[in-house]
Amino acid sequence: MKHRYRITPQGSGPEPTDAEILRYRDKGRLLYNYQRARDLLHRRPIYRDPKAFFALLLIVLLAWLLSEGLLEGPHPDSGGSPVPEQSPPAPGQ
Amino acid sequence: MVPPPGSAVTLPPIGHCYGMADDPRFDERQVALAKASPEAFGPLYDRYFADVFRFVLRRAGDRELTADITQQCFLKALLSLSRYQDRGLPFRAWLFRIALNELRMHWRKRREVVIDLDYQRVRGLGEELELNPDPDEMQRLAAALSHLDEARAQLIQLRFMDGMSYLEVGQVLGIGEDAAKMRTHRALAVLRAYLSKRA
Repeated sequence: MKHRYRITPQGSGPEPTDAEILRYRDKGRLLYNYQRARDLLHRRPIYRDPKAFFALLLIVLLAWLLSEGLLEGPHPDSGGSPVPEQSPPAPGQ
Repeated sequence: MVPPPGSAVTLPPIGHCYGMADDPRFDERQVALAKASPEAFGPLYDRYFADVFRFVLRRAGDRELTADITQQCFLKALLSLSRYQDRGLPFRAWLFRIALNELRMHWRKRREVVIDLDYQRVRGLGEELELNPDPDEMQRLAAALSHLDEARAQLIQLRFMDGMSYLEVGQVLGIGEDAAKMRTHRALAVLRAYLSKRA
């Protein structure tokens, strides 16, 4: 980041008066923002809540079981119709 | 002082807080109170709001942006008040340090930042460098300031445009008074060298 200075007779305009600055002073907003920031900082993480922790665990477990079942497919000995093996054609045919 | 019933209630002037003008330990006591209860931060906010606002405005230029940065500065101060310890660092200098960090955060994605200054603001620096307050000389001074690296430009700004003593400059930048003085003189030497090359 480069700083560039510009010097002119008027600069960036006249300095605000005390009354003008006073308009921007808002103690209520400061304390509201402070409370909000503190609440966010001190919020208990979801994994620290026992109910939320077990719900998350259940979701992860279900997702894992589903993915395992889908990836493996039907087992050959599980009674499904076996795919007939194709023998290579005899030489000369 | 409580206004009499029926009279119009007026806000206290900026920087005013009852009984603080004659109390050198006001900040220390108020910080200790605010650490226990954030509502006690109010008098410190009232006392320094205008100072921080003007400090930021001299760099940011825009009033609305300045108001946001100033508010953010006080919020950061309130959130990290537990870490503030009065070891010779005045509360005001600590606020300016936070304000400079906020400005840096705001500018971090920009390639270039333009800082507008008026003749009055650079009068002290112009006198130090023996420059006349005419457009040509001021153009040269602006070019010389733009040529400085950020750390040196900050020293010059704090000393000559914010009108701080070397002690205050050091407090804001987290260095000693002697170091602030030495670095400022070096920055002035760089400015003089640049100006003499382009005379």
